[in-house]
Amino acid sequence: MTNEITTRRIVIDPVTRIEGHSKITITLDEAGEVANARFHVTQFRGFERMVHGRPVHEMPSLMARICGICPVSHLIAASKAVDAIMAVTPPPAALRLRRLMNLAQIVQSHALSFFHLSSPDLLFGFDADPAKRHLYGLLAEHPQFARDGIALRRFGQHVIELLGGKRIHPAWIVPGGVASPLTAEVRDEIAGGLPEAIESVVRALDWYKASLAGWAEEEAVWGTTPTAFLGLVTPDGEVEHYDGVLRAIGPDGTVIHDEIAPDDVERCVGEAVEPWSYLKSSYLTALGHPEGIYRVGPLARLNIADRMGTPRADEELAELRERLGRYPSSSFHYHYTRLVETLSCLERMAHLLQHPEVTDVRVRATAGINRAEGVGVAEAPRGTLMHHYVVDDGGLVQHANLIIATGQNNLAMNAGVKQVAQRYVRADRLTEGMLNRVEAVIRCYDPCLSCSTHAVGEMPFHVQLRGPAGEVLDELVR
Amino acid sequence: MAGLPKLAVWKFSSCDGCQLSLLHCEDELLPLLGRIEIAYFPEATRTELDGPYDVSLVEGSVTTPEEAERIEAVRDRSEVLVAIGACATTGGIQALRNSADVDELARVVYAHPEYLDTLETSSPISAHVEVDHEIQGCPISRGQLLDTLLAILTGRRPNLPQSSVCMECKMLGTPCLMVTSGIGCLGPVTQAGCGALCPSYDRGCFGCYGPKELPNTAALAGRWSELGIPADAVARAFRTFTGNAPAFREESDRHG
Repeated sequence: MTNEITTRRIVIDPVTRIEGHSKITITLDEAGEVANARFHVTQFRGFERMVHGRPVHEMPSLMARICGICPVSHLIAASKAVDAIMAVTPPPAALRLRRLMNLAQIVQSHALSFFHLSSPDLLFGFDADPAKRHLYGLLAEHPQFARDGIALRRFGQHVIELLGGKRIHPAWIVPGGVASPLTAEVRDEIAGGLPEAIESVVRALDWYKASLAGWAEEEAVWGTTPTAFLGLVTPDGEVEHYDGVLRAIGPDGTVIHDEIAPDDVERCVGEAVEPWSYLKSSYLTALGHPEGIYRVGPLARLNIADRMGTPRADEELAELRERLGRYPSSSFHYHYTRLVETLSCLERMAHLLQHPEVTDVRVRATAGINRAEGVGVAEAPRGTLMHHYVVDDGGLVQHANLIIATGQNNLAMNAGVKQVAQRYVRADRLTEGMLNRVEAVIRCYDPCLSCSTHAVGEMPFHVQLRGPAGEVLDELVR
Repeated sequence: MAGLPKLAVWKFSSCDGCQLSLLHCEDELLPLLGRIEIAYFPEATRTELDGPYDVSLVEGSVTTPEEAERIEAVRDRSEVLVAIGACATTGGIQALRNSADVDELARVVYAHPEYLDTLETSSPISAHVEVDHEIQGCPISRGQLLDTLLAILTGRRPNLPQSSVCMECKMLGTPCLMVTSGIGCLGPVTQAGCGALCPSYDRGCFGCYGPKELPNTAALAGRWSELGIPADAVARAFRTFTGNAPAFREESDRHG
């Protein structure tokens, strides 16, 4: 931005091991201390307007193109909104199958976030040589761990491919249900892969818990700003990803909203626009902007819920709360909660597959336009996702509004970046470890903008520290 | 790893799905690593490019002034440039906005549109620089990506399909939806590569893979009209994921 009035800026561009269209600017004051730090998202595609005039039944397919990492989440939220416009409830088997694909999506996405993107820092250390600090470095030095990560992600992707025909932008979740029933063979194939997947995540959890004491410093400074938490829970308080009601709690567990119907999400959540990012920032309207800062995603889902609702994950949750307290606040604990949630998702998949109804051949309700408006809410891997459409009598979209997880975490991510920068960055010296920590706090949130830019080879990375006239004061290239 | 061909992956406006297709080649990727040095480039600024690179894979369309400058820099540093996916080869789904007023669009999406710096249109990579190969599809097929990389490494022509989705339906034994059910389908004019996925779920082809070589769009649109599909629906069908591809855009314009 051109209105920089402070003396010095550090720009981390690109932020590596998350998606490309983002950068971090660190602003220093006269004394060389960090005055501010911001995470910028610089991509603009404009889906909410592009879909005007399109038939609403196209929304799942069109909206899935928002994201190649979590297209299933958009398919689900869009299909639920169109279900509402058709005024239908999908057949019971279809609901189970949609849940199944959503859980598979969360498993593969969480595996990507934890193993591929974040674990190289955790295993090798934040100051380690970036030339080995990636998944293929893990394969050389921690082969079982790396193989567990690859296998878990592949399992989730394979389930999506078995159900939907392809891994990215599958066309299988449709308004009114799903496109085809589950055969007994595919059911058995998925069920057959679950025990190994569960063991992979349990091994990772055991390693993580044993290592936890070594990250006390990260835990203490990585985004500990108190915030509220928002997400879906079942009416009796279990973690929920597909249906349920919205609950928001304060940092100490005080209930801000409870039993809010998902249709009412826009009543609880406002959206602000900041001059420095194309990513909108959400806040809780009950608290206002910016006091209504809140977080979504695994940390939020575990904090707002009373229990996971599956046996092994509930044991892990009890242990997590014993170690971290009832409402852990540090964003570093996204990692731990992500692993516990992955275990729970796998247990839920097993449970769904055991139900005799899951192979029922009636999987799709059909109807025309029976309502002018529909809202679909589901939990994406990174947090609560909402699609809201208004249509005309012919079913053409007149208005669309989306609330995405990463926008909801935007204020908290920025607070986290600032906190980490203030702790680690000094004007007179730039180190690889210092800047890696600033990036790593973003990775905790697993922004939906994450991409595959992490895995192999040496990362291009260039940071400049500039003086008031734009002269380069320090430079770091890797 | 000195001496191996260097591969770079660049992202413009897109969903990351095509880059992820490369990551999804889990089993094929490791052997490939012995043949090529892979360096991923999430973003690099104009003045800070290394290189040169033997092969650049470019995902996404050009939608901002910064991207228009960056693609030139990528071209300058790349021996072979491959545009991957519907966004890079046609402008992608975000080219839907090309027919809209971009200021109005930004106002609908953002409370403070003055913060945005965006171009009027979303355009394919080939509108800006010379492109050596194009892999179509939303997202691209893993098989076509691997074949293209191997072709470049071995100096042969990539073995990309020239037939339509119809051919894939025939090979799968999927009955023709237009003939048997009167469902509008873009299969006859869409390039093969997806494995005729939608027709196998009784849905007409959406054209994710973009126009095939010399598509007879006028004949297909005529058949749709005979099936009773209204002109505005025909116009929309050609204007979706690859609606900015000239063959589809022109056909769409003829109907609304």
